[in-house]
Amino acid sequence: MGENGDGINLAAPATNGASKKTFAVKAGLAQMLKGGVIMDVTDAVQARIAEEAGACAVMALERVPADIRRDGGVARMSDPDKIKEIQAAVSIPVMAKARIGHFVECQILEALAVDYIDESEVLTPADNMFHVEKSDFNVPFVCGCRNLGEALRRIAEGAAMIRTKGEAGTGDVVEAVKHMRTVKRDIAQAQAALAEGETSVRQLARELGCDAALLKQTAELGRLPVVNFAAGGVATPADAALMMQLGCDGVFVGSGIFKSGDATKRAKAIVQAVTHFKDAKVLAEVSTGLGEAMVGINCDKMKPEEKMAGRGW
Amino acid sequence: MTLTVGVLALQGGFYEHINLLRKASRQLGPRGQDTKLIEVRNSTELSTCDALVIPGGESTTMALVAAQSGLLEPLRKFVKVDKKPVWGTCAGLILLAEAANDTKKGGQELVGGLAVRVHRNHFGRQVESFITDLSLPFLASSPGQNGSGTPAPYSGVFIRAPIVEALLTSEGSPDSPERSPVEIMGVLPGRRTKATAASTTAPDTKPGEVPKDLGDVIAVRQDNVFGTSFHPELTDDTRIHVWWLDQVVERVGGQWR
Repeated sequence: MGENGDGINLAAPATNGASKKTFAVKAGLAQMLKGGVIMDVTDAVQARIAEEAGACAVMALERVPADIRRDGGVARMSDPDKIKEIQAAVSIPVMAKARIGHFVECQILEALAVDYIDESEVLTPADNMFHVEKSDFNVPFVCGCRNLGEALRRIAEGAAMIRTKGEAGTGDVVEAVKHMRTVKRDIAQAQAALAEGETSVRQLARELGCDAALLKQTAELGRLPVVNFAAGGVATPADAALMMQLGCDGVFVGSGIFKSGDATKRAKAIVQAVTHFKDAKVLAEVSTGLGEAMVGINCDKMKPEEKMAGRGW
Repeated sequence: MTLTVGVLALQGGFYEHINLLRKASRQLGPRGQDTKLIEVRNSTELSTCDALVIPGGESTTMALVAAQSGLLEPLRKFVKVDKKPVWGTCAGLILLAEAANDTKKGGQELVGGLAVRVHRNHFGRQVESFITDLSLPFLASSPGQNGSGTPAPYSGVFIRAPIVEALLTSEGSPDSPERSPVEIMGVLPGRRTKATAASTTAPDTKPGEVPKDLGDVIAVRQDNVFGTSFHPELTDDTRIHVWWLDQVVERVGGQWR
């Protein structure tokens, strides 16, 4: 996006006049979600369970990713009725998913005043060339990524928050770990390029397919310039803490909670695990007696066309 | 002797506060040089703190995690019994209030300390979040302002922000008969008047209610407890952090210097 041609400006501008919607306001909400768990919910009852467990936000969905995967067919934005029901049930932020490139679904979600839009590969993409031009919206966006180039392309389009894609609806954390490690390795590469000079940064930006100013900013910060959550396959408190120790700012849990034996207990445990991610004693305590985890699908056994993470350009 | 300032790190923007407190301690020069900044996630860490910041985030999350981590009572003791300096921003302000409106169903746990009632998500959902210039007179006494003149506007970041909608009388509260009244440290002019335009013809204000022509109250202080609706931790402007830390140094330092 490059508001001033030199990366993005996360901090609020020093002064000037009346109130204004800036990138800082959009990214600011993501900063307030850090250290928290965002849970997929399909109705008011689940939303209340999530809120009572300490979720910092909920994602309003018609079907969790595991069911989308099982049912097949085209997965679309939720019925607005469902979203309104969930908004009325809880006091925490409510997010909702739109299909990749489907800017009219995004307009509808903005009209519903959802707090964040997830332009998500979990739904069936609506555009095989372009993602939504997210800067045009007042509602902030979160987008998935598998690597740094993809993350910075989404940020250039206006995403104010990033998450790993992982592999949603599997309960297998391996892809989320891979995506987080890839982003970190790419950032290290960008830092090495920065040490060599501007030419190397521009060359790497061409290789990664991203904006050079954003890449330089990322190298200088040593991290993504926006908040970065883990998503896609997190099913246990240990999975959540693993992603936090790898450097994620917080965690999305999709099918992992409401596809497990004791949703309430598991939800609370994952919230505790994200706060106390470095404290193995607490992790041992909250991992105890959670009942059955979601059965899951082993990502190694999946065909490439079965993976959702490949959606997005 | 080292001054330990904790930032409650259960959830939210704690890292941002630590960053700005670090800058603020440098700006205080020799007065700030012995400041140690720590993240607080349990009662052991809290017990080492001389002062505490409760950051922005989701107040329901923080309250629930604090309860499950056995931190609610230690926090209440820290604020109300030990009376150590505490500053809450946004969700932190909510937790430090004695009462809150528009909480989740069934209400939420609060730490308390400020005899005020806050209104959660006062301005609405995220699409209503905004940044606006604030006039904060107290910054005139901030180190670096030389104690004179009107301070430059402060960029106030309001994200699903609460406001202070009522000042509660602390009379009749047996645990703290000697408390000072709540000081209003900052207001957002105009907005409240606009929101209640229909009722502005009634000039009478009930005791404890915030006068309607004052504007939305977005910063308050009562004894050791300071709260802001907005997020100074989301700016590059260190003035409020410097102002607060300077008082912490004064208050805590006075005990052993």
